[in-house]
Amino acid sequence: MKTTSPSSTTESASRPRAARALVPAAAAALLCAAALALYAAVGCDLNDPDRDVKRLFPGSTGYKTLYVSISRKGGQDLLQKIEARLGDRFAGLFETIDVPYTMYEIYKGQELIGYIHGTNQKGTYGGLQVFLALDRQGVIRGFYLQKLTSKAAKAFRDPAFGGQFLGLSLADFYAYDIVTGKEDPPGAVGRIANPDTASDRDFRAILRATKKNLVLVDEFLLGNPHLKFFKG
Amino acid sequence: MKKISILQVAYKSLLRKKTRSALTVLGIAMAAWVLVSLFGFNRGYESSLNKDIDNLGFQMLVVAKGCPYEAATLMLKGGTGLKYMSESIAASVAAEPEVDAVTPMLMQVVFDPNKGESGGLAAFLGVDPATYPRLKSALPFQAGGWFREPEAAEAVFGYEVAELEQREVGDLYLIPEKEVEVKVVGILQRTGTQDDGTIFLPLGTVQKVFGVSELTSIGIKVRKDADMKAFEDKMYKLPDVQVVSLTQVKTTIMTLVSTARVMVFSIAVIAILIAMMGVVNTVLMSVMERRQEIGILKSMGAMAGDVFKLVWLETIILCGAGGLVGTGLALITARLTDLLVRRLLPYSPSGGLVSIDAGLVAVTLGVVTAIGLASGVYPSWKAARMRPLDTIRSEEES
Repeated sequence: MKTTSPSSTTESASRPRAARALVPAAAAALLCAAALALYAAVGCDLNDPDRDVKRLFPGSTGYKTLYVSISRKGGQDLLQKIEARLGDRFAGLFETIDVPYTMYEIYKGQELIGYIHGTNQKGTYGGLQVFLALDRQGVIRGFYLQKLTSKAAKAFRDPAFGGQFLGLSLADFYAYDIVTGKEDPPGAVGRIANPDTASDRDFRAILRATKKNLVLVDEFLLGNPHLKFFKG
Repeated sequence: MKKISILQVAYKSLLRKKTRSALTVLGIAMAAWVLVSLFGFNRGYESSLNKDIDNLGFQMLVVAKGCPYEAATLMLKGGTGLKYMSESIAASVAAEPEVDAVTPMLMQVVFDPNKGESGGLAAFLGVDPATYPRLKSALPFQAGGWFREPEAAEAVFGYEVAELEQREVGDLYLIPEKEVEVKVVGILQRTGTQDDGTIFLPLGTVQKVFGVSELTSIGIKVRKDADMKAFEDKMYKLPDVQVVSLTQVKTTIMTLVSTARVMVFSIAVIAILIAMMGVVNTVLMSVMERRQEIGILKSMGAMAGDVFKLVWLETIILCGAGGLVGTGLALITARLTDLLVRRLLPYSPSGGLVSIDAGLVAVTLGVVTAIGLASGVYPSWKAARMRPLDTIRSEEES
């Protein structure tokens, strides 16, 4: 696998885990090890990139990891621009201006064949992590719910549910209003079926995470080719 | 004719050789600075370390024999291997005279199929709302607080697990596998310990949800005046339990601190001796240079005691001024010293590392003045013994 360390990329951001030793050295080391073992990945990284990349991009031979953040790329102005494209304000722990986004460029030999990016989203009972595998045009080729705490978790993780996202791009999601959950005019996103109507909040959280994911990839990796579809 | 006091004479004598006097004061000031800073560091470090250890809440953990007591170990074992002990053990431990407080705990682990591609584990720690918050009073909350009812459907999240699950106070959380909803009532600040990744539930709730009526561990806070070693030995005799004690860690660290204290004391003594030699040398040189002046003073009627007092006073003024400058410097640079030491040490407790108070300043000034008194004895005695005729004759010869 072809990988680069974060320090070799053009943009990097400090990770939100500045551990501080508290108690006597031996005890602290032991306790920290326990805490890390329990919850090692606070950011939205793939748990096992080597395995996950191959699964999401069969035929790929390597990947490159990039770390980007809104604060370093464009600051408050960019945040407002992204919020406008998303159709909602950023809020909560994982939507601050300095959140580091981990993006994976996927290669087959020397050729760039696509991207993988995951976003965190607050669900009814816990955090959701929605990963998208995208081709070079930003079309969804793979859908992966890495983490999900929901009463309808089984249904949402069913391949049939994720399959409904394949072939869609940000152009399809612009018409979907994540605040109201309506699509105007009705289109591809509106046809995505909720497998459990009792878990509508989680269903909408997944759609929001997907749209946010696509906006961020468009902005940070693709050079905004889908901006022309945005009607503001 | 205006009369001047012996103090004024001493002061004016020192002013006649300003550079030499200033350098001597500086030498003493450096010694006082080192003295105050070193003892301030020794005191501050020990106090912060003790505070950190106290903040752990309990110094001893009694767990069922063979039961992993660290979440990391439990995870490595795939969440299996939990062993239980009866709740009655907590009551019997609490009855021991050395015990200040006990808190019963029950750890449970469930498999969460929706964590990653192949699932993951989620650990929960059931704690007693009546005792655990009191023992862990140093645990800082970012928002909310502890649950109060023993069987409340409520949870307190460690900082990192709250981040991962994106939970805020008032949010719901679903216990995987059990499909039981709990409400988040508190989120802890980051502590850098196992607590950051822990989901705390009331003990009764964990027992009810997981159908376990026993405990996995008991936290024990031992009285400060108790004989820890004897108490540990007593606990080791309890059947079917194992004792995990932080006493050993504390003892090791305190031994290291004591060793450091001896080193600190040695450095301070060396600094004082150097300063003393400097003072003796300076004053003695001054006395030798003023032989004729002392001879004239004596021939004018000054007694040996007057000359002794004069030279002695000069020494005390030098040392007093040096002491004041040194302690002042130590106070001004205390924060800087703290930062510097913190960067150099591999482990530093969380509180202030340099603690300088009025008592330490007073003791330092007292010590420095005593050094002045001791250093001044020989030069003063030498000056007092000078015979006027000899001093004038030697001047003529030279």
